[in-house]
Amino acid sequence: MTFIHPLALLGLAAAAIPALLHLLQRRVPPELDFPAVRYLSAAERESARRLKLRHLLLLILRTALIIVIVLAAARPLVRVRGGGAHEPTALVVVLDNSPSSGAVVNGRLVLDRLRVEAHSSISRTTSADRVWLMLADGVLRGGTREALLASVDSVTPGWQRLDIVQAVERASRLVNAQPSPGREVHVLSDLQRTALVPGRADVPRGVRVLALEPGRAVPNRGIAAVHVTEGAAVIELAGSTAGAVTTEPVPVTIRIGGERGERDRGEIAARGLATPGDRADSGLSGSVVTVSLPAQSLAPGWWVGEAALEPDELRADDRRRFAWRVATPARVTATPAAGGFVAAALAVLREAHRVADGTGRDVVITGGESPTGTRSILQPPSDPALVGQANRGLASRGVSWHWGLSGSPGPIVAPQVSIIDGVQVTRRYRLEGAGAGDTLATVNGEPWLIRSGTLVLLGSRLDTAWTALPAAPGFVPFVDALVNRLVRGEADVTMAEGAPRVEFRLRGADTVGATVFGPDPRESDLTPASASVAIAALGGEERAEVLNDSAFASEGFSGTRRADISGLLLGLALLLAFTDLGVATRTR
Amino acid sequence: MEGFLAGLHRSPFRGFSLEFTEHRAYQAGDELRYLDWRILGRCDRLFVKQFEEETNLRSMILVDASRSMAWRGSPERLTKRAYADRLGAALALILLRQRDATGLVTFDEQVRQVIPARVKAGQWTRIVRGLLDTPDGQGTAAHAALQRLTALLARRGMVVLISDLLFDRDLALAALRYLRHRGHQVVVFHLMDPAEVELEGPPEVRFRDPESALSVVVRPRELARAYADTVRREIAAWRTACRRHGIAYHHVQTDMPFGMALRLLTT
Repeated sequence: MTFIHPLALLGLAAAAIPALLHLLQRRVPPELDFPAVRYLSAAERESARRLKLRHLLLLILRTALIIVIVLAAARPLVRVRGGGAHEPTALVVVLDNSPSSGAVVNGRLVLDRLRVEAHSSISRTTSADRVWLMLADGVLRGGTREALLASVDSVTPGWQRLDIVQAVERASRLVNAQPSPGREVHVLSDLQRTALVPGRADVPRGVRVLALEPGRAVPNRGIAAVHVTEGAAVIELAGSTAGAVTTEPVPVTIRIGGERGERDRGEIAARGLATPGDRADSGLSGSVVTVSLPAQSLAPGWWVGEAALEPDELRADDRRRFAWRVATPARVTATPAAGGFVAAALAVLREAHRVADGTGRDVVITGGESPTGTRSILQPPSDPALVGQANRGLASRGVSWHWGLSGSPGPIVAPQVSIIDGVQVTRRYRLEGAGAGDTLATVNGEPWLIRSGTLVLLGSRLDTAWTALPAAPGFVPFVDALVNRLVRGEADVTMAEGAPRVEFRLRGADTVGATVFGPDPRESDLTPASASVAIAALGGEERAEVLNDSAFASEGFSGTRRADISGLLLGLALLLAFTDLGVATRTR
Repeated sequence: MEGFLAGLHRSPFRGFSLEFTEHRAYQAGDELRYLDWRILGRCDRLFVKQFEEETNLRSMILVDASRSMAWRGSPERLTKRAYADRLGAALALILLRQRDATGLVTFDEQVRQVIPARVKAGQWTRIVRGLLDTPDGQGTAAHAALQRLTALLARRGMVVLISDLLFDRDLALAALRYLRHRGHQVVVFHLMDPAEVELEGPPEVRFRDPESALSVVVRPRELARAYADTVRREIAAWRTACRRHGIAYHHVQTDMPFGMALRLLTT
């Protein structure tokens, strides 16, 4: 219980007045002669118990009356479940406007429902509260209530995925740092299972996490990724069935080119059918559709395309853009010292028309010799005695990098060349140098694959005595990437979260890579987490609650909700006063 | 006839006088002059005539002069003692005027004044002087004096007790019963100040019994009802007890006009 005017409680000392008056009055009563004292004594003997009870009752009533009046003057605030004002509260409203919030359930946007509750939560704050709004971008927005309400009203489904567990953890840390008596995090999300399962938020004691119960699950299918190769496009599907078994194939269309300004360069349009899986709970999720593309009809260069499904409840994942580099195969030559594995890989690539023979040599793969071609891929010599000679050859080409001492074995870490990521290296030279150069892969934190100008240096030979790479399935694609992309200075096409678009990376006038933006494929799975999973992920049963709409509205701020009961106390005081009057008169 | 002057009151004694009342069978020793010869002649049976003779009344007025009587609840009223004196004097005057021998006894713990019953001239003056000469008593055990008084009242007559009856009821009743047993006609005037009937006073007060060290602290307003009930019960108890023993009981408050109080005696 708290008080609006706590100083008024000093008046509680007045509660002693009835007892003091009683004692003071009893001290010196006037003395009078009265012959009939014997009658008085008899009357008093008969009434002693009643009078004692009456005195006690009156003393209690009058003391209680003063206490109640003083308490009413102090304006006490008591905790109530519904209604009433709340104590100052630090509140973070986590409004999940991730792509999945754009799903339509029962003819209504999921985000609309979340926005209404967010609006309600913020509307109920007072000037004494501190409020932040966190959207799917993870940014904590402070400000006045009106500003935050305006932000809520203007929120639309975004393209970023919200890690709810991490968001709740951040929000709870923020509110826990506030000196306010109340600390709450309101989570307004569709509580996708995929967004909650991985972890558990560490919510400090004293912070309440209230999550809105997710609505009805709806089936959805979406495009998770598109990979275009020569003659075919591989489309990965994602989604959820919401318990409905889908047996009909789903048409998928793909279009490359044909955008404004590209019509004269060519266009490809194709169509395929995605067949649902045999598991009712997976539906299209995990399905892969391969759409055959017509014979090569596009000019070399970077192309932008789009794969599309028929519209469903969630439109954001029905289309996905992609970038495709159409290039003539590189003309590659490998020196004898390059090794047999390289030669075998090139033979495979040649058969697949990924590399070509020709009069000129675009790329030369060496095994320790000095670089001779326009672009060279250099392996260290197999004989350690030749390392110095090879280093001198590099220096003569003006390359600032060279092979150093032997390095320790370890796995390859190659974020830009994901196909070799994690492959074990048993023998290597340290690549030492400075200045211009891109580190494409490392082993034990030391450079292992370096691009410097038109050269690419490897820390190990592409031999099973040095590394497990030649025996790995990604070896041929790695060699393909080396000769067709890495040595040219081109980066891989990377995927990023964001509004659907393709951004090209430029180096000078050349396009060296592309980033394709789109929604996270996990957003396509609209299956909500169960209440127990959600509670566990949001801090556990002691901290978190998953509530339906009405309970959410009533539970918000309930931990610190206070009602002024001074009116009730005044009513009680009136009742006490009447009771006192009744006892004082009727028992006389 | 008892006494020496015929009065207005019927004698409680059957005698042989002027007023025939009844016959009774002759008994050995009866005077032959009262034989009814006519009945003897007609019926041949012996009857004697009985006469009821008017006689003078011997009245003793007993006035309680204890200290409790010297109290009044309001300056506008007489003290109980003053009221008792006036009531006694008035009663004595009436009795003397009708030629009844009237006497006075005042008492508190002890018998203070005894004026024998006479009807001669100046008796009323003596009675009044006796009342005036009796100071307010100190004592509290008036019933003891009452018991002693019974020995003084040897000849039968009327005994009028004027008192606030603030003494032990059982003992006092024993004395009154004894008087009644001796053939006295007993009349009790129970005097009370109105303030003794309805309790009033300051919010809290210590009431002290003037006759004893007894005192009690009360709040008159909250005890008034219980006190009034107690007084009513006490009066009822006196009235019932007196009626049971053939004693006339009259409750008189000191704000009652004397005429009304005196009329109580004649009814």
